[in-house]
Amino acid sequence: MIPAWMQKKEQFAPPGDGGAFAVRSLKALGGLLARVRVQRGREGRLRLPALWKLLLLLALLLTLSLSRQPLLLLALAALVLGYASTLPPGELWSVLKPALGAAVLALLLLLPAMLLWPEGRGNNLILAGKVFISIIMVNLLNRHTPWNQITRALRQLHVPGVFVFVLDLTLKYIVLLGGLMVELLTARGLRAVGRDRHKYRSVGGVMGVTFLRSTELSRQTWEAMCCRGFTEDYKGL
Amino acid sequence: MALIELDNITFSYAPQEPPVLRDFSMRVETGDCLALRGDNGAGKTTLFRVLNGLSFPQRGQYRFDGQEITQAWLKKPAHAKAFHKRVGYLFQNPELMLFNATVREEIAFGPRQMGLSKDELQTRVEDCLALFGLEALAEKAPYHLSGGQKKKVALAAVLALNPELLILDEPLAGLDRGSRSQLTELLEELRQAGKTLLLATHDDALCRELGAELLEMTAPE
Repeated sequence: MIPAWMQKKEQFAPPGDGGAFAVRSLKALGGLLARVRVQRGREGRLRLPALWKLLLLLALLLTLSLSRQPLLLLALAALVLGYASTLPPGELWSVLKPALGAAVLALLLLLPAMLLWPEGRGNNLILAGKVFISIIMVNLLNRHTPWNQITRALRQLHVPGVFVFVLDLTLKYIVLLGGLMVELLTARGLRAVGRDRHKYRSVGGVMGVTFLRSTELSRQTWEAMCCRGFTEDYKGL
Repeated sequence: MALIELDNITFSYAPQEPPVLRDFSMRVETGDCLALRGDNGAGKTTLFRVLNGLSFPQRGQYRFDGQEITQAWLKKPAHAKAFHKRVGYLFQNPELMLFNATVREEIAFGPRQMGLSKDELQTRVEDCLALFGLEALAEKAPYHLSGGQKKKVALAAVLALNPELLILDEPLAGLDRGSRSQLTELLEELRQAGKTLLLATHDDALCRELGAELLEMTAPE
């Protein structure tokens, strides 16, 4: 028999509730993690084996990070942007957006140094430029190479299997756990109908459940892999 | 005035993806009981997300009790809270609803924010625990309960808010036979008490016993 209060219609005026900063921040973080998605990796114009692409990327990154020549930086920027310009507009923007964001962040972090030491401004600008180009290059590889080919290339480069395995699972579960966090916070939001005096307790609960779930997922994945004959030697497809 | 009015809503998760709901219309009066049926991917859960103000259609209108529910309207916390107090939503996966340290705290989470007196809050929590036979689990962590127990706790937590509209996504899935008949009886009582019920279910017996109106959903082509 349902209780009497459940049979009545209630008039409810929600009281104001401040301090939702922690909840909003955590939800934004979860949303960001849920969007960290490894691209399916369609073949681009540069039809090279994944191993070559990976080696080319590593060589370019190494050159970029070691060089202090603005001319080389400009040449690399021209090369990378020239290749990126062959992408359709929507895809081009999704390649450029994170790189621009990271470059702006790098500039902000370098701002105090640029103000305190004006003669080093050129070097600081080169650094921000290097961040911009590096991220575009990594993004292009990610977009134009299927993830399983990247893991295979890593194995061909004799990167330890356990490292590839951890990298693979981490990327997969970052997305899952980000999604889980967003769902839990959504569920919390649906029942947070008034003033929550214990906001940090419930936010802590969401983080706790996410942590427990991550432990459980990793254990279950390990067990499932062992059941299917995994012998700690990770081979990409 | 209808409690829920959906006029030709179209929703897709991304601009380049095909719509999950296309020109979908529906009208639900207060006290109605409606069961949605359809294959996987027919858009039941998406429809529930729209009805809860978690997703917003790209085209068409959604009105709840005469008020158009839009992203802009729900941005105001007072509106969102008043709306969510009236609409209770049981997720298909109840695990995603439980984040408190104990079952008692989980159930108390919503009503504690309603400005009830300590005695009223206590009564509400005890009533909900008793309604689902959860008294023995009151101090346990919801995370460590079985799937069926989690579903009961999640539903108890939703009912503790005493919503007018209950949206239940597969309410009987994962429950044992005893719990299924207990929950069916409870839903019948809630219906008699004037609550509006919206269910996604493949359980014909439940639809029959509740006398639910059936709505078949198909994925848009």
